[in-house]
Formats: sequence, structure tokens, C-alpha cells
Amino acid sequence: MATLKYSRFLGSALLLACLAGAPVRAAELVVIVSARNPVATLRADQVAAIFLGQAARFPDGVEAVPYDLRLGAPVRDEFYARVTSKTPALLKAHWSKLVFTGRGQPPAELPDSAAVRRKVADDPEAIGYIERGALDGSVHAVLVVQ
Amino acid sequence: MQQQRLAQFILLSLFGLVLSSAARAQDEPARAPDWRISGFGTLGAARASERDADYTSSVFKASGTGATRRWSTDVDTRLGIQLDATLARRWSAVLQIVSEQGLDNTYRPRIEWANVKYQATPELALRAGRIALPVFLTADYRKVGYAYPWIRPPVEGYSVLPVTSSDGIDATLRWTVGPVRNASQVFYGHSTVPLVGSLHVYGRGGFGISNTSDWGALSVHANVVSAEISSNIGAELFDAFNAFGPAGQALTRRYAMDHKRMMIANIGVNYDPGTWFVMAEAGRTSGHSFLGATRNVYVSAGWRWKSLTPYATWARVRAVGTTLDPGLPLAALSPALAPTAAMLNAGLNTLLMRIPQQTSAAAGLRWDVHTNMALKVQYDRVTPHDGSIGTFINPTPRFTSERTSHVASVALDFVY
Repeated sequence: MATLKYSRFLGSALLLACLAGAPVRAAELVVIVSARNPVATLRADQVAAIFLGQAARFPDGVEAVPYDLRLGAPVRDEFYARVTSKTPALLKAHWSKLVFTGRGQPPAELPDSAAVRRKVADDPEAIGYIERGALDGSVHAVLVVQ
Repeated sequence: MQQQRLAQFILLSLFGLVLSSAARAQDEPARAPDWRISGFGTLGAARASERDADYTSSVFKASGTGATRRWSTDVDTRLGIQLDATLARRWSAVLQIVSEQGLDNTYRPRIEWANVKYQATPELALRAGRIALPVFLTADYRKVGYAYPWIRPPVEGYSVLPVTSSDGIDATLRWTVGPVRNASQVFYGHSTVPLVGSLHVYGRGGFGISNTSDWGALSVHANVVSAEISSNIGAELFDAFNAFGPAGQALTRRYAMDHKRMMIANIGVNYDPGTWFVMAEAGRTSGHSFLGATRNVYVSAGWRWKSLTPYATWARVRAVGTTLDPGLPLAALSPALAPTAAMLNAGLNTLLMRIPQQTSAAAGLRWDVHTNMALKVQYDRVTPHDGSIGTFINPTPRFTSERTSHVASVALDFVY
């Protein structure tokens, strides 16, 4: 157990070292909820389920309403690639299955990170993703997407 | 004639595109848009090497590629338009209209879906109206080519369904056990499927349960559907059999589609971690009529590299039990009646040779040209077995089973 923790630590340290040494890549993303939402953290699979229409609630039972950035936004593509392993085409295929069988509609879209942050700050049921740099006190991060 | 229909189809597509962009412009960041138009479509062309029957994608088609014409655009081409309306916080409605070649050889639009949904809780949805039957992994979106990797779902499984939607009610419950997310559905309903002329298929007292479990990249779907099926297909044949006394009446009882309980059970598995996928399904049908009983299975796998997805599929459908019946015993009949009885026996076996027995292997390539458009090419090697015409339609008297047909297809799928 201790060895496992140690190797995990070592792994993270190595990863950090690599990241630090690597040229600046796409911005780090955070998944955010309202500062008034009691949920502290979410796992990537829980976030994926909410954004793919497979789960309708946060783990504490509160209804969850996801918001997307516009189609084609690099942050959006990055988010779905890392959290759901889906390319924009696969994501479109996924929603086609749900929409054309009457089982769901994709999240509403907002123009940019500032709009997502404002929407999420106002609504304790809302959940979104933004660049880490766009964080402020009105929302809190429940998952850092790496 | 065909070109004119195609032109109408393209015009309709453009109309849909214009409508949908207008709709998008209006519903900006609204959380619950009042209405939303979306749609899907496929422009396809296929060519089969078979000359004595038509290869096509469904038994509800008038023709295909082969005997009727070399290249056919009727096998896969279709257009669907869907209107989603949010009526109130928990109430919504959906209307889906699909235009594709039907048994009447027109592209007359048909109502595929028309139902009202009440989302009682985020987990429980109740619907009333016309609902697609939740059979097979991909059955309820089998018309949305963009949603699956192939040009068309394996015909060996999907062509055995005589009824594809039901007018009734259903309930879907989502539930979670640890990391496994489930959606369970029950439905009850009836349906009337008009065929050609005065021919119909009726499904009454239809009920079914289905469950889909998702665990990460793994998805498992299982369902059982049952309905009491009646049809006037072959009515004259069975009336004539009835005139031949107990032996003829026994044949009618066995093969007429007259209040027969039909059952379809199916299990499917899909594993899709993103860079590749594998899908497999196995099903069993029993019709207690000239539809016979079948077992079907398919396996398909593909690999995604950038915007390209090469894939391969192997599929098979076999009849359970025989698809030949000796019919009325001719030896016991008077020489005056024997020829009539022989003709009836031949008529019966013509119906039975439509119970599909077929093996096929396919390889294809999907190219995601754009986020809402995919171009696909596919080659199928299709062999009907044991006297059956397989999933072919319109056989000529020269048609022979066991002859392998090569089918080449190209299709452009889009959603908007």
C-alpha cells in the first residue's frame, strides 16, 4: 500500500516535471460548479456521465444541468477528449443516438468561459468547464482536467 | 422517374437545413428551448452482382439493387426531420417524419415517432404515443446512418422484424449501481403496418422490456419483445388449404399469421474506448407462422485513426427447424385435386423460402468529413443458404440459394 502511494507520488512528480519542461500546451481545464453547490469534488467518470446525458444528478442527489461551450471551441474539444475519450465526431454520433430516439438533448451552449462561469455562479444546479485562468470566487473547481 | 424523386429529396434536405439554421439562430443560450428542429439523412447508392433478386436494407422496401436495377439509390437513401418541443418544465413532445422508399415505391413521408414525454423525475420518464421498439443495440436509431459506423446495420438481424414501432405507452427508469449506469424500459402498445394494396400486419398486445447497462466504455443491451401478430398475407392460400379438410386446416393453423404470438429476444455488447470498438449481438425470434423462427448473430469491429474508421463485420441468420414443408399429401388425393394441392404446396414453400438463412461478411471505411457528415464505402459478400432467399427480395424464378452475391455501397450520412 505504502509502496503504491509512493510510486503514485513519484509518477505525479515525474508527470509534473515533464509538464514543466514541455512547451506550453493547451490551457489546463477545470470543471466548475456554483460556490453555493456543496459538491466538493467529482471523478472524471461522474463528470463524463453528466455531460453525456447518462446521469442527471450530482452524487448528493441535486439535479445537475451541464453547459457546453460552442461547437468548435478548442477548450470544448479538449474537455471531451480528456474526460470522455470522444472526438467531436464521436460526440456528435453519441448525441444523434439520444436525440433521434427521444432520450435526450445535448447541453445548452454558451459563447465563452466568462459566460459559462456567470451561468454556473448563478445556478446551484449548473456545471461547466473553463480554462483554469478564468476561475474566480463565484464558482469552485470540482475536477482539474489534465 | 427515379431522378425526379431524388431531386425532390435533395430539395427537401435543403429546406430542412435552412429551417434548422434559422432555429439555431433563435435559441441562443436558453436552458429549455421551446422547440428545436433537427434531422438526419443518407444519400446512398449500392450495386449487387446478383441478377435474380434485389438486395436491400429492409423487407419494407419495394426494390433494391440486382434484379430491378444495377445501381440502386433506394437501398439506403432517406431523410428524417424531427421536431422537439418543450411544453412545460417536465413535459416535452417529439415528432419525427422519415422519407424513404417504401413498399409502394414512393418516398411518401411516414410518421416514425410522435409522442409526448413526462419527465416525472430526472430518472423516470413516461411517454405516450408512437414509440420505436427498443429491440437490438441500434434498432431505435437504425435510420440515423451517422450514428453507427456501417452503411447499414447488419441486415441479418434487422430484417426479421415485421413491426418496428408501437403506438402505446412506455416508461424508462435510469438507475445506478456502483460504477454501472442502467436504463430500463418497459412498453405496452399495438401497431398497424400497411404493406402493399390491402395487405397489413397488425401487432396487438405488444409488450417488452429492455435494459442497457453502461460501465465505462462497455455497454450491454438486452431485451425481450412480444406481440400478437396478425396479417392477411397469404389469406387466399390459407383459405384454399382450409378447403382440403383436416390436413389443410392443420397447415393453416401452423403457418397463417393469424393471432400468433411473436417473440424476439436479443442481447448485444458494445465496447468502445474511443480509438477502436467491437460490437456483437445475438438474437432469437419465434413467429409460430410462415415467419418461422430464427437465430441471428453478428460481430463487428473497427479502428479509428484520425477521421478514418475502417471496420469489418460478420453476420449470420439461420432458421430454427426446417424451411421446407411437404404440405398436403398428394398420394391420398384424387387425380382431379392433386394438381391444385401441388400448386398450394408450392405456394406455401414460396412463403417459407423467405424465412432468412444467410451469411455475410463486410468490410468498409467511414470517413468523418465534417463533425456532422460522414462518407462511407462498404463491400458485402452475401450468401443465402438452404433454399432460402436470405434477406433478398423480388426473386425471379431463376433465383438459386447458395450463390454468393457481392454488394458495393457508398453513402453520405449527415445530421443537422
